[in-house]
Amino acid sequence: MSIDGQPQGPLMVVANLELCQGHARCEDLCPQVFSTDAVEGKVVIVHPVFPPELEDKVRLAVRNCPEGALRIARQKAAGA
Amino acid sequence: MTLHFQPSPPDHVPADRIVDFDFFHIPEGVTDPAEIWHDLVRRGVPKIFYTPRNGGHWVFLNYADIVEGYRDYSIFSTYQTPIPPIEPFPVVQPQGVDPPEHKVFRSLLAPMFTPIAVRGMTDEIQRRAIALIESFADKGECDFIGQYAERFPTALFLYLFGLPESRLDEFLDLANMFFRSTDPEARAKNIVEIYAVLDKLFREKQDNPGTDIASVIVTSRDPQGAPHDWTDILNCGFLLFVAGLDTVTNTMAYIWRYLATTPAAQQHFRDRLDDPDAFLLAVEELMRINAVSNIYRRVTHDCEYKGVQFRQNDRVILPNTVANRDPKVFENPDMIDLDRAVNVHVTFGVGPHRCVGSHLAKRQVMVSMQEWLKRIPAFELSPDQSGQTVFGGSVMGFSGMKLRW
Repeated sequence: MSIDGQPQGPLMVVANLELCQGHARCEDLCPQVFSTDAVEGKVVIVHPVFPPELEDKVRLAVRNCPEGALRIARQKAAGA
Repeated sequence: MTLHFQPSPPDHVPADRIVDFDFFHIPEGVTDPAEIWHDLVRRGVPKIFYTPRNGGHWVFLNYADIVEGYRDYSIFSTYQTPIPPIEPFPVVQPQGVDPPEHKVFRSLLAPMFTPIAVRGMTDEIQRRAIALIESFADKGECDFIGQYAERFPTALFLYLFGLPESRLDEFLDLANMFFRSTDPEARAKNIVEIYAVLDKLFREKQDNPGTDIASVIVTSRDPQGAPHDWTDILNCGFLLFVAGLDTVTNTMAYIWRYLATTPAAQQHFRDRLDDPDAFLLAVEELMRINAVSNIYRRVTHDCEYKGVQFRQNDRVILPNTVANRDPKVFENPDMIDLDRAVNVHVTFGVGPHRCVGSHLAKRQVMVSMQEWLKRIPAFELSPDQSGQTVFGGSVMGFSGMKLRW
């Protein structure tokens, strides 16, 4: 539960494809969650809602994006 | 300081932003050309300054400003940027064209250089690396740049362009003249020769296309369905020739010099030959610390930016090596930390012109290191390094490095 009493959804990672320039640092650092497409080489998030054990790796990938194109958000819990 | 034989600075440049700095000039005794840039930071010169040298240009020294310079193409254009100015200058496709027009050739090249595409080339990259390394592995020594760092990316260029390996020496000669000659007449002749070779190559690929990059470029159509302008095709070939050779050569020269003089780093990589993720993380740190390119931009219109007056056609240099050691962004920026976890280096630039070949370049460096370390025991610089030359400019580096083991 969050402080306002609303149920908390799981963490998810979101990409801004306008900002992504295909550095692929996220894919290098956490291929379990990030991939890249075959046309522009931009990020494809394979598992937006990633398992909790990958949180550290996902956060590292987010911090290593030279374009600041990734961010972590909390998915809205069902019914919230 | 009085400057001689230089035009006086334009009147929009205030005196307190003028620094006498020639980025082509490496003082006697300096073995790392990047040091002339880091020296500016140590001296505390303004973070946006103007030098009257080389036709006059600005330099950005903050990571944040360099990154904005890359991103804001409405002010900082890649069109006609050479320093000192050369006009007219070929409109190199897609690097020399601003968005959205740059998209035409960028979209054409991008699929051939994605991580997926580069993974598909790994066997070819590996095969060429192994062949070159095995040609001298049992000799106990080599001229690293002449025997490897120049030959390897050139061999890859031939492969990408669907050309036979037998033409390696011909392309090496063309590239060496282009990158190292200081004789304007020889350079002009050399550029004509490069374009003649590209012209012949593209015509052959037009008649008999394969799956190589040259064939894809020459047979592609513009958004209206018409063949691309022949000049654009040649200029795109020219870009791939000039952008992918010297940069990789000099990055490797820096990295192998560091390894040769740092046994613990050699061991770090040897210990991670079976751990590609950790190996790549360490390569990323070497890419940060050995950023050889100083990138040019041209100001599109008179404007004030960060409190500084810029005038249309002013040139700007974005030195990646300085951005990569900005203490506001990197912890212990001058320390080489092969386990560095957060490393937002800009060695390949950022924004719409991010080096399209970055994944190929990184893969070339990584495969070369892996195959080298598998075949060459502990190595060091040979005691005799006579004949070594150090150079500044747009791509920094040095030539003539002998290694022994």
